[in-house]
Amino acid sequence: MSTVDVDEALLVLKIAFLVLLYLFIWRIVRTASRDLRLPQESFVLTPDGARERRERQVAGRLVVLESPSLNAGHAVGVDSAALTVGRGAQNDVAIERDDFASASHARFLPRRDGLWLEDLGSTNGTFVNGARIPAPRRLAPGDVVRIGETELRYEI
Amino acid sequence: MSARNRELVNLVVVGALMTLGFASVYIALSEQVSTTSLSAAGFFFALYLIAHLVARSTVPHADPYLLPMTALLTAIGLTEIYRLDADDAFRQGIWVVVGVALFASTLIVLRHDFRRLEAYRYLFGIGAIVLLALPALPGIGATVNGATLWVRAGPIQFQPGEFAKLMLIVFLAGYLQEKREVLAQGRLKDFGPLLMIWGGAMLVLVQTNDLGSALLYFGIFLAMLYVATGRVLFAALGAALFIGGAVVVHQFVPRVQERVSTWLDPWADPEDDGYQIIQSLYSIANGAFGGTGLGRGTFYNTPGGGNEGEPLIPFAKTDFIYSALAQELGLIGVSALLLVYMLFVLRGMRIALLAGDGFSKLLAAGLTFGFALQTFIIVGGIVRLIPLTGITLPFVSYGGSSLLANFVLVAGLMLVSNRANARAA
Repeated sequence: MSTVDVDEALLVLKIAFLVLLYLFIWRIVRTASRDLRLPQESFVLTPDGARERRERQVAGRLVVLESPSLNAGHAVGVDSAALTVGRGAQNDVAIERDDFASASHARFLPRRDGLWLEDLGSTNGTFVNGARIPAPRRLAPGDVVRIGETELRYEI
Repeated sequence: MSARNRELVNLVVVGALMTLGFASVYIALSEQVSTTSLSAAGFFFALYLIAHLVARSTVPHADPYLLPMTALLTAIGLTEIYRLDADDAFRQGIWVVVGVALFASTLIVLRHDFRRLEAYRYLFGIGAIVLLALPALPGIGATVNGATLWVRAGPIQFQPGEFAKLMLIVFLAGYLQEKREVLAQGRLKDFGPLLMIWGGAMLVLVQTNDLGSALLYFGIFLAMLYVATGRVLFAALGAALFIGGAVVVHQFVPRVQERVSTWLDPWADPEDDGYQIIQSLYSIANGAFGGTGLGRGTFYNTPGGGNEGEPLIPFAKTDFIYSALAQELGLIGVSALLLVYMLFVLRGMRIALLAGDGFSKLLAAGLTFGFALQTFIIVGGIVRLIPLTGITLPFVSYGGSSLLANFVLVAGLMLVSNRANARAA
């Protein structure tokens, strides 16, 4: 291979390398600018007090429709605190006689944007309107949540 | 396209980049085309494919750009190290393999809930101080280039400071999350334990003679304190405290005086104190806008001028790899490199923005800021914006400890990101 060929090959490689490098950067910048249009949260942590005031807007209750452990029609109020549900006695909503529920089954998380339901790695899963939830999910009023053999309806 | 598929596509782009880089170094050095570069790039791509598959099963919702950017930075580092010294490139390649393994195991171990680390925050705090103190212990500590940063145990030597940095970030995230309410009120007594732990860390650092790391640790601390409390005053006070401390140290430590005068006027002593930085500046200047091309830079004395074969830039593979890259890739190439670092930090900050709870937010912000500040300190030092301190350029510089610690850092960011995105999905 003559020297001229080497120089030409290197120039082509160099240009290809740089083009590809900037292409890679451009791909990421494109998505990053798309993210900017998403709702932004603050980078700095807000004091707990301020957060609670906002979260208190999420109020509502969970009405028991059916349960081996709780009376139907019993209502649990939801305020700014998280509510845990499970067979264990340490839960906020303890369903000790529900044999299909796990000890720590699920958690209701009130957030600024609404009430979220999160499965805590239960054996039998957590269901919303009959469908098992693979990831935490925001509840809409009227949604029916099933944990073990206990069914709860979220009402505002 | 799902997040993980996007990650895969970007990894393919990085694999192609690595092939081009290796091919051009190989052609430039040996004047022939060979399949060696292809097989090296193929192996490298397979390695990241494994990392990608582990990410797919453990953190499916995590940010899809962190891993490709990590791959790109290690690829550029490996290419340049290979160009400077093929044996070292082989060793660095092994470190990348170990790093990816560490990345994968971090993801696997913490896949269910990384937030349980919060419960062990004090253990991490103590661990960080122990690691920082290790190099100062007689018998296992070692001093290299005037900084006592190394630990030697038999054939293995490593820099525990790199891991101490990560442990401090975990500790600070847990501690600040717990205390941020009282800290925000600004009563002096609440700062007691914090100042004590930081006083201890600073003491160790002054003793090890490494001021770049002191700046790094203190910067991370101030950034996280600001994220936790939202008080600009604290950050300003902390910065003033650090500058005051630095002035005092400058009065008494000759090594620091030397560094500052070299920074202000390297040409005052071009043969000795200013030698490194001047050589590095010439290297950057030689690259000009477009660079000499990979494999075509001048790094060794040419025959006939005496000192034949001697390296022109000291520590070109480690501290000064940026100047080596600036020569071969030119302004246009290193601008791209810095853009990749910026995008990495941008993704990290975004992860901190989206993180749901205080611990995750602080962890992501701390890890990201540590990464950003480290890059700033070394690149700023090389281009003479700030006094030079020898720390590594993350993922690019030759060196196992730094590489492994940074792989854990990426795993940490991906875990936080996975949790935040899974919640929103």
